[in-house]
Parts: sequence; C-alpha cells; structure tokens
Amino acid sequence: MTTFFLGIGVGLCILVFFVLYRVVFGPGIFNRVAAISAIGTKTLVILLIIGYLYDRIDMFVDISMVYALLNFIGTLAVAKYLEMEGERK
Amino acid sequence: MIHISDDIIIRTLARILVPFIQLYALYVIMHGHYSPGGGFQGGVILGASMVLLLITHGYGETKVRFSERGAVIFSSIGLLIYSGIGTLCLVFFGNFLDYGKLSTLLQVVPAHARSLGILGVELGVGFAVMAVMFSIFFDISTSGELPVDE
Amino acid sequence: MEVTLLVEAMDNSFRLMENAKTQAIELLNSAVRLTSETRAVEKKKFETIFTGAREARARVQNMIATFGILFVFWLVLSAKFDLFHLSLGVICSGVVTFMSHDLLFANVRVGDIRLMLWRFVTYIPWLLYQILLANFHVASLVLSPRMPIYPQVVCFKTKLESDMSWVTLANSITLTPGTITMDIREREFFVHALSKKVADDLSTGEMEDRVAHMYMEADHIYIQDVLDVAPIFGELRRTL
Repeated sequence: MTTFFLGIGVGLCILVFFVLYRVVFGPGIFNRVAAISAIGTKTLVILLIIGYLYDRIDMFVDISMVYALLNFIGTLAVAKYLEMEGERK
Repeated sequence: MIHISDDIIIRTLARILVPFIQLYALYVIMHGHYSPGGGFQGGVILGASMVLLLITHGYGETKVRFSERGAVIFSSIGLLIYSGIGTLCLVFFGNFLDYGKLSTLLQVVPAHARSLGILGVELGVGFAVMAVMFSIFFDISTSGELPVDE
Repeated sequence: MEVTLLVEAMDNSFRLMENAKTQAIELLNSAVRLTSETRAVEKKKFETIFTGAREARARVQNMIATFGILFVFWLVLSAKFDLFHLSLGVICSGVVTFMSHDLLFANVRVGDIRLMLWRFVTYIPWLLYQILLANFHVASLVLSPRMPIYPQVVCFKTKLESDMSWVTLANSITLTPGTITMDIREREFFVHALSKKVADDLSTGEMEDRVAHMYMEADHIYIQDVLDVAPIFGELRRTL
C-alpha cells in the first residue's frame, strides 16, 4: 500500500511539470493563472500523500486545508485585479 | 478592486465560506501546541477571510464587521495583550515573559501556567497580524482614499 | 337603406379598429412597465439579501443555527473532548457567530430542512456517477490522436428561483468534466461545453430537475411526469 501511494505521488509530481510548461510559455496572463491554480490542486493531493507516507495524516490535513484556502483566495484576488486593469484601459 | 462583485456565484460562495474560514483560523491559533499553527498562521488566515469578504462584497458589508479604523485599533490591542502579559510576569517578581510566575495568579501548577501564558501571547499575535494584513491590503488597493459607499 | 347599413358597418369597423389600437397600446405599456418592475424587483431582491436576515425576528434563529453548525465543525476539527478545549470551542464559536451571524442564512427560505438534507444526501451519489461517466468521455476525447472537440457555448433559461439553487447547479455543472459555467445573468446560464455529446447531456435538463427537486422549488414539472402524460395527451387530441 505504501508503494502504491508513493508511485501515485511521483506520478503527480511528473504531471506538475507538464502543467509548468503552461505557466512558463502560456501566451498571456490568463493561461498562467489557470495553470497555477491547477498546480495548487495537485500540490494539495501530494501533501496528503506525504502525510500518509509519514504516518502523521492529521497534521498534514491541517496544512493542506490552509493551502487550499490560500489557493482559492489568491486566484480570486488575481482575477479581480485583472478585471480592474481591463476596465481601466 | 473593492466593489461588490456582480457574479452571483462568487458572492454566494464567499458569504457561506467566511464563517468557516474564521473558525478554522481560531482553531489554528488555539491548537498551536499540538499541530502546525500558532499565532502568525492563524492571523494570516483571519486576515485572508476579511480580504475575501472585501473583494466580493465591497466595503459596505465589511464595514459592519471590521472597519478600517477598527483594524488600527485591533493591531494596538494585539500588541497590548502581548506586552501586557509580559509586564504582568514582571509584576510577579519574574523576568519579562516568564510565565511560570503567573501560577500564583491563576492557581495552577507552573507548567500549566506556562502553557496558558503562551496561548495568551499567541492570541495577541494573531489579532495584530490579522489587523495588519487587512490594513496593508486595504491601503495598497485603494491608495489611501476610502471607497464611496454603495 | 343599403347606404345606411354601409355607413353603420363602416362606423362599427372604425370603432373596432380604434378599440384594438388602444388595447394594443395598453398591452405594450403594461409589458414595458412589467419588465421594468421585474428588473427593479430583482435588483431590490439582491440588494436586500442581507436586510431580510437582519430583522430581529430572524436574527436570533440565525445566530443559534450558525452557532450550532460552527460548534459541530470545531468538534470535527479538534478531536479533544476535555473541558478546556470544549470551553475554548464555545468561546471561539461565539466570537465568530457574533461577527458573521447573518452570512450563512442570508435569505431564510421556508421548507422542511430535514427533507432537504435527506435529498441532498441522495443527490450526491448521482452526481458522482455523472462525474465518473463524463471523466471517461473527456479522457477518450483528449487521448485520441485527432482530438474531436467542438467547443460551444450553451445558453439556457433556468426555472430555479433562489441563489443557493443557482450556485448548486452552477457548481454541479462545473464539477462535471467537459462543462464549465461561465456566467449567470438574470436567470440565464452561459455554459461552455467541450463537445456535442456533453452539450446534449446538458440540454436534457436532468441536472436542473434534480436540483429543483432537492431545493423543493419549481418541481411541479418533472420530466418523468411530462413523459408519462404525453401518450394520454396524444389520445385526447385524436378523439377531439
């Protein structure tokens, strides 16, 4: 069971690098924002898998909840800022 | 950036989530002994909840709960709690922030008094951090002038 | 004699045309007034979405309900049940309730809460099954070499009334892979769909019917009832 979760965690890390391509080369800002939000979702699951591997799942649930919250609020704030910039132009 | 959002989905989701975020922030402050957290982290989450309310519902709704003037007062209250507990330890013939000497005031063993003293200090830090986060976001996004009430 | 009849007939027809013209003008005026009234009423409904919950009668109920829910959430988070932590939980829930008590139940809606909760519990497995099916479909679309996607925007008017049901429907549509809710403007949904099959699944309206059934609004027209009644209607039309 540990090996199974370890394999899934490594697979998710490799998938993060695929999405990182969009963050670096995405034409325009909207592609980059959406890709960062997707990376945040994957990071959440990777944190939980690490918590299971270290056998301290209760601690890592707290950390991942905080990260989910900050990801959500961060994406909202960036979207609001871009809307305001678009209106001003 | 601080006016009421005209998207009904974001408004409804934000107003449902804010009490749970605030309760989670208080949980993180209170359980700093046992799990990752403490004063600064809880304060950041509290400030983030106020920022969420600000960018989705505008300043009119946030002013009822936590105005910009209240933020200034709150940061001072947080600092007062922190240095107040420290000075209270001085009064009881200890060093600054020597919580063991508070055991005569609270009628508990010194180890428990240290735990309660740290909890009080974390609370002060949390309040101060929340107020400063809110105040920094507000000042940067409005560049100093208060938004017109909608 | 014929001339008098002709003149009378022309008078009658002129009077009829005048009546028809005034009636048409009245109808247009009332239509304009009704749409502007509806818009004003909807705007006022959104602006007073908080003052409804701030009335003194509903405030105490809101506070107690919010306090209960928050305390249960605290108990789930912190699994320590000694007196010190329980009193801390009561104090923290009290502080948060005092600060944001009118946020959770902003527009109090009549209806049996227990029935709504039970219907919500039975709605979630159906939604998970739909997400599973849509996952397989989108994965087969993306992984095939020529990638047959036809992105389109589907607009439909919804029969749901309150903002909670709109948000539930929008979130269910976005959770299902292949569809994303872009905007809701004046009871009209703008949904971006990835392929024709996904758009067809959306426009049958089954998800909207289930959400309406769960929130107990506008569920007097259920698709299954219309399908049941259709052969009877056909029989009646043939015999009349």
